[in-house]
Amino acid sequence: MSTIVETAPRGQTRRRMRVDGWRWAGRIFLVFMLLYTALPMIWMLITSIKSGFAAMQFPPQWWPDQPTLASYQKLLDPQNSVGQDFLRFFWNSLFVSTVTTILSVIVAVPAAYAFSRFSFPGRNFLFFSVLLRNMFPAVIFLVPLFILMRVLGLVNTHGSLILTYLTFGLPLAIWLLKGFYDNIPVQLEQAARIDGATRFQAFILIVMPLSTPGIIATAIYSFIGAWNEYIYAYTFLSKNDQLTLPVGIQRFFSENTTDFPGLMAASFMMSVPVVVLFLVLQRYFVRALTEGAVKH
Amino acid sequence: MAHVVLKDLVKTYGSFKAVNDVSLTVNDGEFVALVGPSGCGKTTTLNLVAGLIPITSGDIVIGERVVNDLDPKDRDIAMVFQNYALYPQKSVYKNLAFPLQMRKLPRDEIDKKVKEAARVLDMTHLLERKPRELSGGQQQRVALGRALVRDPAVFLMDEPLSNLDAKLRVQMRSEIKRFHQDLKATIIYVTHDQLEAVTMADRMAVMNGGYLQQYDSPAQVFAHPVNMFVASFIGSPAMSLIPLEASTANGNTVLTSAEGWSLELSQLNARKVQRATTKKVVLGARHSTIKLHNSAVPGAIPAKAFTVEPTGDVTFVQAFLSGAIVNISVPPNIAVAPDEQIWLEFDQERMHLFDGETEMALTAN
Repeated sequence: MSTIVETAPRGQTRRRMRVDGWRWAGRIFLVFMLLYTALPMIWMLITSIKSGFAAMQFPPQWWPDQPTLASYQKLLDPQNSVGQDFLRFFWNSLFVSTVTTILSVIVAVPAAYAFSRFSFPGRNFLFFSVLLRNMFPAVIFLVPLFILMRVLGLVNTHGSLILTYLTFGLPLAIWLLKGFYDNIPVQLEQAARIDGATRFQAFILIVMPLSTPGIIATAIYSFIGAWNEYIYAYTFLSKNDQLTLPVGIQRFFSENTTDFPGLMAASFMMSVPVVVLFLVLQRYFVRALTEGAVKH
Repeated sequence: MAHVVLKDLVKTYGSFKAVNDVSLTVNDGEFVALVGPSGCGKTTTLNLVAGLIPITSGDIVIGERVVNDLDPKDRDIAMVFQNYALYPQKSVYKNLAFPLQMRKLPRDEIDKKVKEAARVLDMTHLLERKPRELSGGQQQRVALGRALVRDPAVFLMDEPLSNLDAKLRVQMRSEIKRFHQDLKATIIYVTHDQLEAVTMADRMAVMNGGYLQQYDSPAQVFAHPVNMFVASFIGSPAMSLIPLEASTANGNTVLTSAEGWSLELSQLNARKVQRATTKKVVLGARHSTIKLHNSAVPGAIPAKAFTVEPTGDVTFVQAFLSGAIVNISVPPNIAVAPDEQIWLEFDQERMHLFDGETEMALTAN
């Protein structure tokens, strides 16, 4: 009896120590990961408030002697030609990404619902063929899609980008949302239909509100995908007034000498919408990714 | 309230027949239980009545209307689901109000009806809570309330008690029965638990393999099962069914076991056995109709006790006869040990005889 009493706490401390060792290893790993991801962002911010000369200095100024917001003022000034371009690119990106997001929700929600609820011939085949696009690197489709867009007369239009981004974003959106609908008991809709709702009302009033986290996650995903995309925008668009931000930033800052503070300021402002979206909606995003995946 | 008629109802999925030519009438204000093992078609039948799945052929009449092609919302029904199907994002109040809102009732009338239903079901204090904040029994009650609040023609209930723990189940059973008596509601109640069906229903429809086996009052189904399936499904422990062979000599009909023993039948039972299609006859006996003796008695059949289960009120003894399990109930003061030699005496008046080929009950006329 006494031996049991003695050994039990010793076993416990040993286990706690081992767990602590792993926890510290984990923390150190996370700190490195954090530095790895955050340092470039911090350097971007610091550079953006330097003067052009200070940005080129070596050894670098860790904190600028004369911090200035001149780059931001230039970029946001509609009188200035640089500012005009930047604002136009920003608006183009916003337009393309927003339309892509709206369309992708409009398509993905009913598609995922249909895959989840209805049985129709070819359902499984269709569902997996939706994923087919994602089995290949995006670049593979660059030339075929360019030829297709030329035939359709869509080269140098934002339509070509919206269509392309939709095909890239939809597969995951549909899969994510289907997982959501699978987890909503069909009896809820049945109850609503018996309670006096039409099938459509049951979907709008009962199912849609329950799948809001999934819809929000889908929307963020498509928006970020479209907002950051570079290679297709670079290929499909050549007219200066149509460019989106990723391409535009690169275009007008590297003609003669590179204006690093300006480039960094533009990059920073480009990341603002994404970061804001994420911060505001992240709890939905995390909930969606876990809820959709795990069966209750 | 209204009556419900199912006429030659059929539902097929590809080549699989889930519901086969089911015809039955539920009278106005009657409590009918659809009972059977899982996969027997009882829930499918209920869903057909609700309109949640389309019928393959046949007719469903609710009140005076044929509702075959009507949407669920137009059938004037309410349904209680096994998992309650409460709207998780809505409060109890809004759950109860939803069916009334969908029917575009004025706001003050909705409020009156919701509060009335909450009062009847004793859950006024729960109105502002969300379903996930309620216990299983409370959720059950909200589901009942949502059905009740609308005053529908027919209540459909799909295993409403099977998610509750044993004690609560017994309590809710009497509450639902009470609710039926007070409201004179027409109720179709699906369950796999024969005890629920027997205790609550005015009439029970026993189903198996998509077919309606028997539709009668619980007492009738219990006393006169039409076939071996119904006999073994209704009653707990199950009726013992012993396969035997019939023969007649010197005007006496006897049932002989492959084990060597035989049982002489009364005149009435002999007449029943003569109507069997072959010599194969199955003897059915409920646990309470078999007498257990500790010593040889004329007419009693020797057997060995296999298990002995005291439950307090009665002790259940299991034995094997002709390869079949035989359940016998004895008063707790009778001592039987496993592997002990016992003698079983069957009650000629209360035994059941089935055709060994068709599995149908044998009757004298």
